[in-house]
Amino acid sequence: MAEISPLHSIKVNKKKCIGCVACMKACPTKAIRIRNQKAKIIYQRCIDCGECLRVCPYNAIVPITTKPSAVDIFKYKIALPSPVLYSQFGHEIMPNEILMVLKEMGFDQVYDEASVCEMINLAIEEYLDENKSPRPIISSTCPVVVRLIQRLFPSLCKHIIPIEPPREIAAKNLRQEISKEKNIPEQEIGIIHITPCSAKMVSINHPETMEKSHLDGALSIREIYNKVMMKLKKEKRPLMLQTQTRISGIGIGWSIPGGEIRGLKYSNSVSVSGLYDTITILEDVESGKLKDIEYLECLICPDGCLGGPLTVENRFIAKSNILRLIRTFGGKKRVDVNFVKKLYRDNFFSFEHGVKPKPFAPLDKNRSKAIKKMKLKEKIIEKLPGIDCGVCGAPDCRTLAEDIVRGDAQLKDCIYLTTKKYKRKENYGKKKN
Amino acid sequence: MRSKTVFQQEFKIKGGDFVNAGESSCKIRNILKEIGIDADIVRRLAIIAYEAEMNVVLYARHGAMYLFVYPDKILLKIKDMGQGIENIDLAMRPGYSTATEEIREMGFGAGMGLPNIKKNADVFKITSKVGKGTALEIIINLNGKNG
Ligand SMILES: Nc1ncnc2c1ncn2[C@@H]1O[C@H](COP(=O)(O)OP(=O)(O)OP(=O)(O)O)[C@@H](O)[C@H]1O
Ligand code: SF4
Ligand SMILES: [Mg+2]
Repeated sequence: MAEISPLHSIKVNKKKCIGCVACMKACPTKAIRIRNQKAKIIYQRCIDCGECLRVCPYNAIVPITTKPSAVDIFKYKIALPSPVLYSQFGHEIMPNEILMVLKEMGFDQVYDEASVCEMINLAIEEYLDENKSPRPIISSTCPVVVRLIQRLFPSLCKHIIPIEPPREIAAKNLRQEISKEKNIPEQEIGIIHITPCSAKMVSINHPETMEKSHLDGALSIREIYNKVMMKLKKEKRPLMLQTQTRISGIGIGWSIPGGEIRGLKYSNSVSVSGLYDTITILEDVESGKLKDIEYLECLICPDGCLGGPLTVENRFIAKSNILRLIRTFGGKKRVDVNFVKKLYRDNFFSFEHGVKPKPFAPLDKNRSKAIKKMKLKEKIIEKLPGIDCGVCGAPDCRTLAEDIVRGDAQLKDCIYLTTKKYKRKENYGKKKN
Repeated sequence: MRSKTVFQQEFKIKGGDFVNAGESSCKIRNILKEIGIDADIVRRLAIIAYEAEMNVVLYARHGAMYLFVYPDKILLKIKDMGQGIENIDLAMRPGYSTATEEIREMGFGAGMGLPNIKKNADVFKITSKVGKGTALEIIINLNGKNG
C-alpha cells in the first residue's frame, strides 16, 4: 500500500476527545490512559478489538482503513466483501445486487468470498483428521482473537489452526487467476476487502503468519454504506443479471457465529462470540479444561462479524437477513471435495509460518526485579481506595499500581490519597481478576 | 537455593463452591505472566493449579493455595481440610477416581488430575491424613536466564 502503514487500526481524534473515561474503562487489555485530559492509546497493549470505538460518546476514536485514493493506484481493482455486507441493506436486497453496485462504484471486478468459506471448511476438516496436536484447535479467522492469544494467552499460539482465513485465500486465488486470465502483472491488481472491522487493516498491513498479505487494503462497510444504499434505492437491478457469481449458502453462514463449525463432522466443536466470553473460554483452554473440544471458533465481536464495530445495521436484524439468505441459497455443497483435498495437500491454504507469542512486557526484564516490583505493586494496591474511579488516568486502582511500579505514574495521581477523606473498601481485591 | 526475593500470595478455596472454582488458578496465571514467566511454564502451572484447586473444591471443606515465586523456581502449596486420601498410590494412578455420578456428569472424575499435576511438576510431594486433609507441594524450576 502506498499510504502509511500503521501498526494499529485505531487512533484518537484529539479535537473531539474530552478525556472522559468511557474508552479507558471498556478496554479489555488496559491499553488506554487519560493524559492531559485526552485518551492515549498504549499501542503495545492494543489488540484492535474496537471496543473503545463502540463506547466513545464523542466519536473521538477513529478507525483507520484504506483511503479511497490509495485504491485508485491499482490498474485492476477487485472488491472482496465480507459476507456480512449482504446483511446490511434489508432482506429484499440480494447479494448479487450489492455486488453489482460495488462494480458500478469503480471496481473492475467483485468477488463473493462465501464460496471460499466452503473450501476452508473442508481444509479445516482435513487438518483435524490428520493432526493430533493438543485440543482444542482454535480458528484463525478473527484477527483480534489471534492477537489476543499472542498477547494474553501466548502458550495457546500452538492451538491456532495453521490455515489462512477465507479472505486471504480468496485473494490469493483471485490474484493468480486474474493475472493469468487478463494478462495483468500481479502487483497491478488491487484486492480490497470490504470489512466489518478495522482489525483487518492490521492483519493486512502486518500479517502474523506470512510475509505479505494477499489483500491490498480494506474499506469499511460503514464508509461505503451510504453510497451503496443510494444506488440500490435509485434503481432496481434486473434479477437476470444476478448470475455472474455463484453464491454459496454455506459460505454466507460463516458470517453468523457457528458458521465455521456447522459443516464440520466433529460435533464436539464450540463457537464463542463476544470479547468477554472469548477471554473466559481461552482461560479455560489454558487451564487444560477443554481438552475434549475438537475445534473452537472464537469471534471477538458480539454475534461475530455481524456485530463488527464498522457495520451499520443492527446485528439482530442483520442476523435475520443472513438466515433468510441461507434459506434462499440452501446448504448444497458447491465445491469439489477432491479438488480441495489436492489444494490442501499442496499447502495452498497453509500459513507460511506459525503465530508467534507476543506477551505483554513483564514488570521488569530481570526476574528478581520483576518479583520485587510485584511485591511493591501489592503494597500500593493496599493503599489505594479500590473504587476504580479512573480520575488518576488509569482504568482502575490495580492498573495505577502497576503504572507506578513501571515508573509511568505516581501515587499522588490518586485524588483520594491527596484528599485523605476516603475509607478503603473492605472487600477490595476480592473481586474477579 | 533460598533467596530473599520472593513474591508470595495466599488464595483461599471453598469446598463445594463450583461457582467460583478456577478463579484462584486464574489469578495465579496472571501474576506469573506479569512477572514475565515463560508461557510454557505458565501453562504447566495453570494446569497444576486448576487441577489442585478442583480437587479441593470436590473433596474438601476448605483449603488454600500458596504461591511463592523465587527468581529460580516457583513453589505452589495446596493444603486442605477434608476427607483425605486413604491410599495415595491408588489415587495417583491415572483413571482412578472416587468421584460420584453427579460429579462425573459435571465433567470431572476422569481420574487424571493428580497424574497430570505430577506430570507437569519438576518436584511433586503429596501427604494426606484420612479425615484430616491433604497437602501438595509442587516445584517448577525456572531456567537460568534473567536470574
Ligand atoms: N484434595 C483431596 N482430598 C481428598 N481426596 C482427594 C483429593 N485429591 C484427590 N483425591 C482423591 O484422589 C482421587 C484421584 O484424584 P484425581 O484428581 O487424580 O482425579 P479426580 O479428581 O477423581 O478426577 P479428575 O481430576 O480427572 O477430574 C479422587 O477421586 C479422590 O478420591
Ligand atoms: S469478529 Fe469479525 S468483525 Fe469482529 S473483530 Fe473479529 S473479524 Fe472483525
Ligand atoms: Mg481431580
